[in-house]
Amino acid sequence: MGVLRIERTRLHNWATRPMGAAWRAFDWQLTIYALLLGCIGLAMAYSNSDESVLQGGSTFLRGLMWAGIAIVVFTAAAVFDYKWLKTLAWPIYFTNLGLLVITLAIGKGVGGASRWVSLAGVQFQFSELAKILMIVVLANFLSRRERQLDALSSILGACLLVAPAAVLVLLQPDLGTSLVFGAILVGMLFMSGASLKWLGILAGSVVAAVPVVWTHVLRDYQKQRLLSFLDPTADPQGSGYQLLQSQAAVSSGGLLGKGLASGTQAQADLLPVQSTDFVFAILAQELGFVGGLVVFALFVALLWRVMTSAWRSRDPFGLIMGAGLASMILFQLVVNVGMVLGIMPITGIPLPFVTHGGASLVSLALGLGLLQSINMHQSRAAW
Amino acid sequence: MIGPLEERVAAQRRPLRFLAFGLAVLVGMTVLTGRLAYMQLANGSQYIQRTDPNHIVAEAVPSTRGLIYDRAGRLLVTNIPSFAVKIRPGDLPVSQRATVVTRLSGLLGMSATDIRTAIDANPGSRFDLVRIANDVPEPTARLISEASADLPGVQVVVESHRQYLSGPLFSQILGYTGPVSPEEIRDLSTKGYLPDDWIGKTGVEASYESYLRGTYGSQNVERDASGRVVQVVSTVSDPKAGSSLQLTIDSREQKLAQQAIQWGIDTADLESGVLIVMNPQTGEVLAMVSLPTYDNNLFATGISTADYQGLLKASGRPLVNHAIGDQYPPGSTYKVVTGTGGLADGKLTENQTLLTKAYLSIGPYKYYDWNHAGWGPLDIKTGFGHSSDTFFYQVAGMLGIDRLAYWAHQYGFGAPTGIDLPGEASGIVPSNQWKEDTFGVPFFPGETYQAGIGQGYDVVTPIQLINAYTALANGGNLYQPQVVREVIGADGNVVRPFEPKLIHEMDVRPDTLRIMREAARTVVTIRHTYNLVDLPILVAGKSGTAEFGNRDAEGRLPFHSWFVGFTPRDAVNGSFSGTDSQLLVLAFANNSRTVGNAATEIVKYYMQLHYDISKDYRKPELLQRGNFFGD
Repeated sequence: MGVLRIERTRLHNWATRPMGAAWRAFDWQLTIYALLLGCIGLAMAYSNSDESVLQGGSTFLRGLMWAGIAIVVFTAAAVFDYKWLKTLAWPIYFTNLGLLVITLAIGKGVGGASRWVSLAGVQFQFSELAKILMIVVLANFLSRRERQLDALSSILGACLLVAPAAVLVLLQPDLGTSLVFGAILVGMLFMSGASLKWLGILAGSVVAAVPVVWTHVLRDYQKQRLLSFLDPTADPQGSGYQLLQSQAAVSSGGLLGKGLASGTQAQADLLPVQSTDFVFAILAQELGFVGGLVVFALFVALLWRVMTSAWRSRDPFGLIMGAGLASMILFQLVVNVGMVLGIMPITGIPLPFVTHGGASLVSLALGLGLLQSINMHQSRAAW
Repeated sequence: MIGPLEERVAAQRRPLRFLAFGLAVLVGMTVLTGRLAYMQLANGSQYIQRTDPNHIVAEAVPSTRGLIYDRAGRLLVTNIPSFAVKIRPGDLPVSQRATVVTRLSGLLGMSATDIRTAIDANPGSRFDLVRIANDVPEPTARLISEASADLPGVQVVVESHRQYLSGPLFSQILGYTGPVSPEEIRDLSTKGYLPDDWIGKTGVEASYESYLRGTYGSQNVERDASGRVVQVVSTVSDPKAGSSLQLTIDSREQKLAQQAIQWGIDTADLESGVLIVMNPQTGEVLAMVSLPTYDNNLFATGISTADYQGLLKASGRPLVNHAIGDQYPPGSTYKVVTGTGGLADGKLTENQTLLTKAYLSIGPYKYYDWNHAGWGPLDIKTGFGHSSDTFFYQVAGMLGIDRLAYWAHQYGFGAPTGIDLPGEASGIVPSNQWKEDTFGVPFFPGETYQAGIGQGYDVVTPIQLINAYTALANGGNLYQPQVVREVIGADGNVVRPFEPKLIHEMDVRPDTLRIMREAARTVVTIRHTYNLVDLPILVAGKSGTAEFGNRDAEGRLPFHSWFVGFTPRDAVNGSFSGTDSQLLVLAFANNSRTVGNAATEIVKYYMQLHYDISKDYRKPELLQRGNFFGD
C-alpha cells in the first residue's frame, strides 16, 4: 500500500490535473483513523451526558454539532489548494496573533483566565486554531530556508516566529498550550533538517532556563499543579484531587472496563472535568485496558499516515507541515494520557479528537484537511 | 528517472530523522501502555478503594472574630449569626448546572447570571466553596438545606457577620470587613485564609486583623458523592477565637465631637469636617470624627454595587477618613513651628520685638500681613497672638527653609504619625533638597516666607497637626497616636497592654515650649478668637486658615479653617506654663466661606459640651457665608 507503491513521476501542474486523479491521492486511511478517534470522543460524550443526552445543549449534541462542522472544514481544506498558504503565510500569521490578542482582551475563562471567546453563544478557544496556523506559518518559513537550515539564523528565526504566540497564550494563562507550541517548534525544526548542533545547544539553554522560570515566572498555584502528580495525596482536596480520582477511575477499569456510561467516577460526578482533559480516565474505566489499547493503536496508525504524507511530499512545505502536525498530536497524546495516568504533570492539554472541545476538533480537522490537500494537489515524489 | 528537482527534494528528506520520530512514537506509546497495564491489570487494587464515592476531607472550622469595646467597656461591634449559601463547583455536575442555578435563583431572588458569574469567578480549586449569597433569611436557608438532594454541590453554611452597634458614629475608626478578593487570596491562602473568607478591609478591622481573626480549626469529615457531610471523623484542632479590642476612644466624647462638628457643618454649609480629641500625655485618641461618614453596617453582609457606587460618588467622600487620609495646607497653625525654631535657634528671645507692618518687600514683590496694616513692634507671644504674618515672615527669613524644615520634622510633620489605622497620608515639608528633587530649582526667599506661615508647599494631615500640638502641650514628647488601647485575649487576659509609643523627644529646651504655650494662650486672651476667652475654663490654641483651589466669581479663594486648642489639667485654675494638659482638640472645616473661623467655633462648642458649660458662647453669625477677614 501507500508508502511502498512506486509511481512514475508526474510533473503536471495541479490546475491541469483532473480532479479525479487528485482524489486518488486522497489518503482514506488517514481519514478513517481520524474519524474513528472522533467517534470514540462522541461515545465518551454520550456516556457523560446523563439521562438528558438528547436534550438541547447536552455535551453529546454539542459534540455532534462540532463533529459535523469538523467534517465540513476537513473536506473544504482538502479541496482547497494548499499552495495558496505560501502566499498567505504572513496574513495568516498576523490574523493568528490578532485572534490571540482578542482572546486576551475579551476572553473568558475560569477564575479570571481568558481562554475562550464567545461567538454567537458558542465558545471557541482560538489557541487551538493558533497551533494549526502556527504550523502552516512555520512550514512556509522553514521550507523557504531549506538551503540554510544548518545556520543558527534559521532556528532563531523560527523561534522568533513562535515566541509572540506562545507568550500570548502563556498570558491567558495557559501553560499547557504554550508548551505545545514548543513541541511543534522542536518537531518541525528536527524533521526539516535543522542543524543538530544548534538544536542541541538550544535544548541545553532551555534546560538551563528551567530553574529561572520556576522561581520567577510560574505562580505558586501553577507550581503546585505541576508538582502534585509526584504526590497527589499531599493535597487530596486541592490540586491532587483530580489525579487521585482519575487514577482510581483508571485502575477500576480492569481489562474490559465497566461498560459505557457505567463508570462510577464519571456518573457520581467525582471526576470534575471528565468532559474535558481527563476524558481518558473515564474511557479507561468504562472501556478498560482493551479500550485504551484501541485508542493507542488508532493514534499510532494516524501518526504513521501523517508521517507518510510528509515523507511522500515532494514539496518541502508538505514534509515540514506533516512533521508539525505529527509532533503536535504525539506531544498532546503523551502529555494528556501521561497526566491521567499520573506520570506527567497536570497541564490542561486536550487529548486530540477525544476531548470534547469544538475548537480542538475543528482545528485538527483543518490541519489534517490541509495535509490531504498536500497529498492531492501535487504529484507524488519519486520513492 | 530522477531529474534535478527530484534530487533537491530527495536531499531534504532525512530517513534517519523519520526513524528517530518513529522511535519517539514507539517509546512514548510503550511507556503509556506499560503504565496503563500496570494500573489496570497488575495493580488495580491499590487505587480501587478510592472509587468509593464517600471520601474523607479536611474542613476548616471558622473561629469567632474578636469584639470591639470603647474605652469605658461599651460594646461597639458584635457578631450575629447568619446563613450563607455556597457552592462547591467540583460537586456540581456540569449537566445539572443549569437546573441548579435556575432553582437557586428562584429561591434566593438572585439573577441566574449573578450566580453563574460567582461560580465562574472562583479563583481557586473547584473544590473550594464559592460564596453565592449572604445573610439569607432562615426559612430560605432551611428550604435549601432540605432540598440538598436536588441541589448537588450547594451548601448552607451558618456563619456570623459583624453588627456595628453605633453605625456611622464609629465607621471611620472601626472600618468594616469584606470578602477577600481573588488577588488577595493568592498571598493569604498560606496564612490560613479560605477563598470565601472575609477580612478586615479598612479601619481597626483591617489594622488589627491578625488579632481579631483568631485561628481556624480543622476537622476531618466524611462527605458523600454530592458533598453532604455524613459525619465528623475527627477533630484535628479546635478553632481559637480572636482577641477583642478596647479602643482609646470614649463613646461619650465621640458623640459630643460628632455633635459639635455636625453643628458646624450644618451652620456653615461645609463640604466636610474633622474633629479630633487627644490626650497629649499618652497619644491616645479620645474621639475622632470625620464627616460626612457612612454606615459600616452596609458592608457587614456585603454591600450592593449600587450602594457602593453611591458612596464613592457622594460629595465629601464619606469613605475617606479625612482626619488621616487627606492633607491640606496648615495655615497659621504652622506658626508654632516657625516660632519654636526661631527661639530654639537663637534667632529670637522671649522678649525681643520685631516690627510688624502692612507688608514686607522682596524686590518687586510685596508680602502682606493679613490685616494689611501690621501692629507695630510685637514679641513672640503677641506676634503669635495676633498671628502676624509679617512677624513670622521675618522669623522664617532668619531661619531659612532648611532649618524651618528641621523644626517641622521635630514636630512630626512630613512623615506619617504611625497611627494604628490604615490609609494615612504623609504630608509635605518643603526644603531646598525637596524642591530640587520635585521641581529642579532651589527655594526662593518669598517661598520661605510663605512656608513660615503654613502656606505654599506645606501640607499636613489633621492627625499630624494635632499630634504636633500634643508635643507642645506635654513638653516635647512626640507620641504615636493610637486608637486601640488594649488587646484582650478570648480568655480575658490582656494580650497587648497599652503603652504610649514615643516617636522622639524634641530637640528643644523646656523653656522654649513654655513660651510657645503661653503664646498660644495669648491667642485667646488677646481676643484673636473673639469670646473664647470668656469661657469659664482656660483654653490656649491657634487658629489657621489656608486658601486653596480656584477663585470664585468675585475673585475670592475658598479656604479651610483650622483650630487646635488645649486646656490645662485643672481647666479652671491651671496654667499653661505647666505640661499637664489632658485634653487637646482639633477642628478642621473644609471649604468654609464664612466670615469668621468656623473651626474655632466648633472647638468652642465641643469644649462647652465636654466641660458641661450651660451658657452658650457660640457665635453662629461668624459662620455666615461671607468674605473672611482674619487669620
